[in-house]
Formats: sequence, structure tokens, C-alpha cells
Amino acid sequence: MTESRLVLCVDDETVGLQVRKLLLERSGYRVLTAQDGAGGIEVFEREPVEAVVLDYSMPGMDGGQVASKMREVKPQVPILLLSAYVGLPSDVTSLVNLYMTKGEGPDMLLKKLGDLLKTVPVPENQTS
Amino acid sequence: MDLGKFKQILLQVFFLPVLALLLLAAALYVDIRNANSTVGLIQQSDERIAQATMLTKLILDEETGLRGYQTTSDDRFLAPYTNAQTDLKRQFSALENVPGANQSQKDHLEHLRDAYETWQVGFAEPVIATIRGGGQANDVDQNLHGKLLMDAIRSDLGMVVQEAQNLRADRIATWHSQVHIMLWGIFLLAIVMGVLIGLFTRSRLHAVSDAYKNSLEMLKRRADEIYASEQELRTTLTSIGDGVIACDADGCVQMMNPVAEDLTGWTSAEASGVPLEKVFEIVNETTRAVVENPVAKVKRVGGIVGLANHTVLIRKDRTELHIADSGAPIMNIKGEMIGIVLVFRDVTMERRTQDALLANEKLAVAGRLAATIAHEIHNPLDSVSNLLYLMRTGASEEEAKQFMAMAEQELARVTQISRAMLGLYRESKTPVHVDLREMLHEILLLMERRLTDTGVTLHTDMPPGIVVDGFPAELRQVFTNLITNAAEATGRGGAVWVSVAPEPAGLGYGGLRTEAGALVQIRDNGPGIPKEIQAQMFQPFFTTKGENGTGLGLWVSRGIVNKHGGSIRIESDTSESTHGSTVSVFLASKPTMQPGGD
Repeated sequence: MTESRLVLCVDDETVGLQVRKLLLERSGYRVLTAQDGAGGIEVFEREPVEAVVLDYSMPGMDGGQVASKMREVKPQVPILLLSAYVGLPSDVTSLVNLYMTKGEGPDMLLKKLGDLLKTVPVPENQTS
Repeated sequence: MDLGKFKQILLQVFFLPVLALLLLAAALYVDIRNANSTVGLIQQSDERIAQATMLTKLILDEETGLRGYQTTSDDRFLAPYTNAQTDLKRQFSALENVPGANQSQKDHLEHLRDAYETWQVGFAEPVIATIRGGGQANDVDQNLHGKLLMDAIRSDLGMVVQEAQNLRADRIATWHSQVHIMLWGIFLLAIVMGVLIGLFTRSRLHAVSDAYKNSLEMLKRRADEIYASEQELRTTLTSIGDGVIACDADGCVQMMNPVAEDLTGWTSAEASGVPLEKVFEIVNETTRAVVENPVAKVKRVGGIVGLANHTVLIRKDRTELHIADSGAPIMNIKGEMIGIVLVFRDVTMERRTQDALLANEKLAVAGRLAATIAHEIHNPLDSVSNLLYLMRTGASEEEAKQFMAMAEQELARVTQISRAMLGLYRESKTPVHVDLREMLHEILLLMERRLTDTGVTLHTDMPPGIVVDGFPAELRQVFTNLITNAAEATGRGGAVWVSVAPEPAGLGYGGLRTEAGALVQIRDNGPGIPKEIQAQMFQPFFTTKGENGTGLGLWVSRGIVNKHGGSIRIESDTSESTHGSTVSVFLASKPTMQPGGD
């Protein structure tokens, strides 16, 4: 079991977000959710989030815009961009640490998120 | 020189000789009058001479009578004397009264009268008195005295006659010289006038002839210009890349340019005078029906006509060419139609390119749809695979039920989407009933995602039961296109309205009669389309989207709508407060399909 690390999930798909939250929680993460970009940034600024799982296609701000805002605030926090589209523009994918397509399956998601978090030290002020 | 001036010259040339003749006549009249008065004077002289001669005769009669009386003392001899006496008085006064006498004549006449009276009183009367007294009057001295007196009378008479004759001779000389001067005068005047008239007429005629020469030169120049311009037109016509055929008002070929010869397979010489429909045989590409003769069509419309699309020209050797053509009336100055000019070109290559473009646009639409569909399917698939993972990795029964329900819900979404997708590519060969509300719902379902992603609000007003006949796949392509355009135009925070309404038969756009059908309107509140762009919107390759557009969407859409016997129209407003665009698509309920509409 991984130590309980705080992950932020941003997706406008209610069912998808709900299921992803469950999946990550089962895998031992603590999960915060937001249903749009603005909400996601707000949580990201407020909470000591250690990684972000970000959907690309959202009303309002898209994943690329959200990621760029987040980089401005806390550039060290890794971002995993999920998308239902194949082939996102490179200026978007270069912003984030990892990029994967929806449908690659939960195993791949968990593996990639785990790998990503290994690169990040556990914050000292972490409240667990 | 204008006509007014020419008339003026004609008048001058006519009136000047008349004037000259009048002048000449006046001079002649004056001369003749002078000569006449001279003749009058000559007649006076003649009268004077006659009178003087008469006087001489009477005096001689008196003397003779007196001599007889002296000799015979018989009173009968004295009768001539007494008779002449009364006559003499009258004759004297008559002579005195003859006009035109000069002083010398008057003096001589006075002298004569004195001499006569002296003779009468001093000799004749004493002789008569002597004889009456019975005496003799034979005294020599007395008779000698009488003779002297009589000689004086004779001398005076001679002087009077002589003077009158001299005067007469002078007057005749005057008359001669007058006639002479008159002849010369008239002769000179006639010569001078003739010369003057000649010179004047010559100068006037020169002016006329110059003007005539100018006119001739101008005419020649005009003719040269016309010839040059005709040559230029002919060259232009020959050089034109399109086929050009000119017909007379009866529709017989008058002229063809080389391209027209090439395309029809007829030479200009062969085609000349042949009815157009024989040289320019055109049929519809699909129906093979003979297309209306352009001459008849131009006559009917009375203006420029674009001829039917999808026309095939059957050449002289029976090979075929796809052509695009147009006809226009040739009008004379009065606005009467004197012929028709037909312009056409080979569009076989163009048609192939067009077909390729259509296929390209279909591919582009398919590509865009594929992306949308991938997105729409990936999302529920992701959820389902996550749910399956959760169930596999251990879930309570309660949870498992919940996960199954969620998975089913997500799968239902996938099914719905795949149905909509199938509908999009279900091609049919014949028109079918299309429920517009149903179709638009399906399209919007696929597009919903994209609309919410881009922050566009959608408003719909689509009452059920509005059905038209058509090809669903193609109509879907049209509406997908138009709604995508509207959403992209309005941008984030904008709104798109989609409405369907039945449209009763009546006068449609541009006053054209339309049958009953439906009007689909797609409206956005985007910035609007500037006027200068509006005209190009339906041109192929026109796009405002840069690399994201093929520039074929509206062009293809219009083709499809036309094929459905409908019409498409864009209204746009770029003003500050009411900006936005509305695309209206009219579709007839029971359209006559135009096979060549696309």
C-alpha cells in the first residue's frame, strides 16, 4: 500500500470523475475532485496537492490552460493529462509531465501515476 | 461646316448675282432716262426748225401776195397776205412757246419779230393803203426799201433755223455720246460684276469644298477606326479561351471563334447559317434529355442566362464534352434583340476536380466526426473499464450492483452514439422521409460535447412532425456543417439557436415561388460576417478558419441543398448591439430532386 498521498482529479464527466476517484481511493490515494478548470485551480492553490490527474476536454478552460495556470502556481507538482482525443497538440503535451489517452485502462493509469509520484518527495508539511 | 452654314452659302451664291443684275438694271435705267431726255431735246429742236420753216413759208406767202396786189391792185391777190397774217401771229407765239430755247435763240426770235413788224408797218401796210387809195406803188426806192426789210427778215429767219439746227446737231452728238457711255458703262459694269461674282462664288465654293473634303477625311478616319476596332474585337474574340458562337435573331450561327470550332468540331464555314441546335447540340448529363435551346431561352428570359448545369455537348463526331455555358442577347441601339452570343467552355477537367474536392470534403467531415466520436466513446469506455477494474479488485455486493448500473448507463451512452453515427453514414439511393427534429437531435447529440467544451450555449425550437423528403446522410452533413460554423463563429460564452418551422407555399427568397416545406434556421450571436466577405462565402476554398477549415463546407452544403430543390441563405449583422448571423435553409416537403444540384 502506498503512503496516503493527495491527488487532485479534474474532469467534467460526473460518472468518469466519480469512478476515477473510487479507483484511486481504492489504490490508497486521498482524492480531491473538481468538475471544471476554475474549481480545480482553486483546490490546487488551497490544498497541498502532490499530483494532478487532469482531463483535457472540459467546458470553459481546457486541460492545457488549466495545466499552464497550475505550473505558474506550483511548478513542482506533477500533472498527468488524460484525454479522450488522440493526438493532442505538442504545446499542450509539453506542459505536463505525462500524457495518456482515456481507454488505456486503470492499470496503466495507476502505474503511471505511481511512477510520477516516485519522482516527487513526500512533502514535510503533509498531514496524514 | 454645319448644315446652317452651308445653306447660308447657297443663299449668298444665289442672291449676289440677282443683286448685281438689279444694280445693272438700275444703271441702265438711269442711262436710258438721260438718253430719252436728250431725244426729247432733239425733238424740241426739230419742232423749232419746223415752226421756223412754217414761218418762213408764211412770210414768203405774204410777200408774194403783196407783190401780186401791187401789180394788179386786185384784192383777190391780197388774200394770201391777209390769210397769212392771222396764222403768223399764232406761229410766232408758237415758236416762242417751244421750250428749251436759249438766250441767243430768244434774242434772234425777238429780232425777227421786230424785223417782220418793221416790214409790215414800214412797207406792206403803206403799200396796201396806197393802192386802196387808188394810187400806184411802183416807186423803186420804196420797193428797194421793202426788199431790204425783207432781206433782213430772211437773214433773221435763216439765223433762227440755223441756230436750231446747230443745237439739234449738238444734242444728237450728246445723245450719241450718252449711248456710247451707256454701252461702255454697262459693258464695264457687267465685266466687273461678273468678275466679282465669280471671285465671291469661287471663295464660297472653296469653303464648301474644303468642308466636303474635311467630311470625307473624317469619314475615312471613322471608317479606319471602325475597321481597326472591328479587327481588335475579332482578335479578342479569336484569342478568348472560351468558345464563342454568335447567332442571328433566328438562331442561325453567324460566327464562331477557334475555340468554339475546336469544342463543337464544326468549322466556322460549315456552321455559318446553320441553326444553332444542330451545331451546339446539348443534353442533360444524367437524363440525356435535350436541353432547351439557348436562343429560345435567351429570347424567353430577355437577358443573360446561365444555362443548365451538367450539360453535355455532343460534338460533330458524336463524342461528348462536359460544358458550362451562358448566353446573352445582342441588342441594337433601339434595344431590340438582333442576335444571341453564346459563351461556353470545356469543364470536363473542372468536373473531375470538383468531384475530387467533394470527396475531400466528405473525408474532412468524416475525420472531424471520427474525432468527435472517439472522444464520445472514450469517455464512457474509460469509466466502464475503471468500473470493471474496481469490481475485479474486490467490491461488496452493494458496490458491485452500483458499479454495474453505472457501467450500463455508460454503455447505453456508447450505443446511442454509435446509432447516431450509423445514421450519419447510412446512404440511400432514393429520397426517404426525414424527420428534421429527429435528425437535428442526433446531430446535436454528437456535437453536444464540443459545444459545451467550447462554452457555447445551445437553444433549440424544434417542434415534432416536420418531415421532408431527402437524403439523410447529405442533410446531416449540411446541418453538422452549419451548426459547427455557428458554434465556431460565436465562440466561448456565445449562443447558438437551432429552429425548425413549417414553411407554407408562397413567395420565397427573391420573390421566387416556393412550394410547401420546412425552414431550418441556425442563428448565432457571433461577430457577424462583413458584407465584403458574404459574397464569397459559398465559393470553394473560401475559409475564415485558417488551417482548420477546408473552405468547402458551405460550398458543398449549398450543392446538397440545391440538389434537394431547396435554397440556402445567409443574413448577417456586424453592428455593435445586434451582431450575429442566421443561416436559413429551405427544404421542400416533396422536392423534385435536381440530380445536378451538387
